[in-house]
Amino acid sequence: MSVLPAWSSAFVDGDLAAVRSLPLADAREWAFGGSTGVGVAVAVIDSGVDHDHPRVGAVTSAVALEVSDEDPAGYVVVHGRHDDVVGHGTACAGIIRALAPDAQIHSIRVLGPQLKGRGLLFHAGIEYAVEHGMAVVNLSLSSKSEAMFGPLHDVADAAYFGRTLLVCAANNQPGPTYPSQYASVVSVAARPGQDPWSLAYNPRPPVEFGACGIDVDVAWSGGGSIVATGNSFAAPHVAGMAAVLLAKHPGLTPFQVKSVLQAVSDNAERTV
Amino acid sequence: MAPDPDLTASVAAVRALFGAAACSCALVDAQGSSLTYVAADGEGAAEIVGVVLPVGRGIAGWAVMSGQPIAVRDVRADPRFARDVAEATHYVPTSLLAAPLFDDEGEALGVLSVLDPGVEESSEWTLAVLGTLASQVAALVCAVRRAPAAAQTSRLEALARRVLEATQDYHR
Repeated sequence: MSVLPAWSSAFVDGDLAAVRSLPLADAREWAFGGSTGVGVAVAVIDSGVDHDHPRVGAVTSAVALEVSDEDPAGYVVVHGRHDDVVGHGTACAGIIRALAPDAQIHSIRVLGPQLKGRGLLFHAGIEYAVEHGMAVVNLSLSSKSEAMFGPLHDVADAAYFGRTLLVCAANNQPGPTYPSQYASVVSVAARPGQDPWSLAYNPRPPVEFGACGIDVDVAWSGGGSIVATGNSFAAPHVAGMAAVLLAKHPGLTPFQVKSVLQAVSDNAERTV
Repeated sequence: MAPDPDLTASVAAVRALFGAAACSCALVDAQGSSLTYVAADGEGAAEIVGVVLPVGRGIAGWAVMSGQPIAVRDVRADPRFARDVAEATHYVPTSLLAAPLFDDEGEALGVLSVLDPGVEESSEWTLAVLGTLASQVAALVCAVRRAPAAAQTSRLEALARRVLEATQDYHR
């Protein structure tokens, strides 16, 4: 048993207040039934994705954003296959693949070998995903920098209005981090339990959704797997669900996706 | 390098509390890129002190990167395990606990590792207690860094002594 990451305590069964569902006989069947996420573009902004990992399968595209003093923007975009420098992005991609086997996975690498990255690259990675029409973006990383509040807020708004859903893990430590704190994103913390489709809605923000992320078996670099705990592994479960939903119901806006995710949550009360 | 005497007293106390084969403390450098083992007690202690590792390596490094305490029952089956480092200390553990140390800003400043604890590593109690001890050690590391005066050092020594005494009482 692991120690719960920050924000997870809100999602322990018994503490969750009931929330309203949608007027559907079976909201989960309506949202996910029969869908495999086919064709939905899901970006993983992280430490890279291992192309050869059996739990990830095909990676549709890959870019690495790297700091460059020569470029006026301060960074360059390197296209083509890359390694996962940690294993963290591969873990996220493997989770998404398990829930949405036919989704497209696009890797946008912004983190280095210590799972650290510059705010500039983080922002640029989200911007890249929005400009390239990603339907869902998994962000199992966040920034504590107050200086990044404004720029990340702007790009999160651009994503929202551009119909790119940002699924953001809350930080494992208490305190505000961005963009997980913004209302325009789907923020996620880990919740006890091993059901990859479990989902809970927290009516007391800032973290709105809880998903599987405690002691989960995840893919890792080098073709292996590990058992890990963290909000990082809860977010891709929700990203996978969003991909499955969007494949079945193309064109839903981020606020509609969020409404459906609330409606299919384990603590949602049926209204019909 | 010479081990940090105050932190050595603390890790000795933690090792005794957990009935473990060894316990160590490593601190992150200013760039956040490497971990230096500054104190250890038990098996392989003399060999591990002074070892510098990239933060991206090993299970202790994972605790720093993820900000999460971790318990691994069989490190040999875990791809994060830095086997070569363990072998160089002449002690390769089976199980390992690691808890990050945080400063006041929530930045990871190090990690406390416990090798082959004599307690049930999958119990909720284990990581909760280690996390609490890690936060105490972190608070005192921060205090010493802010004001490296003898008074601060003596507080650290006093804490380590109290924990060790409490542990010895518990095991009697």
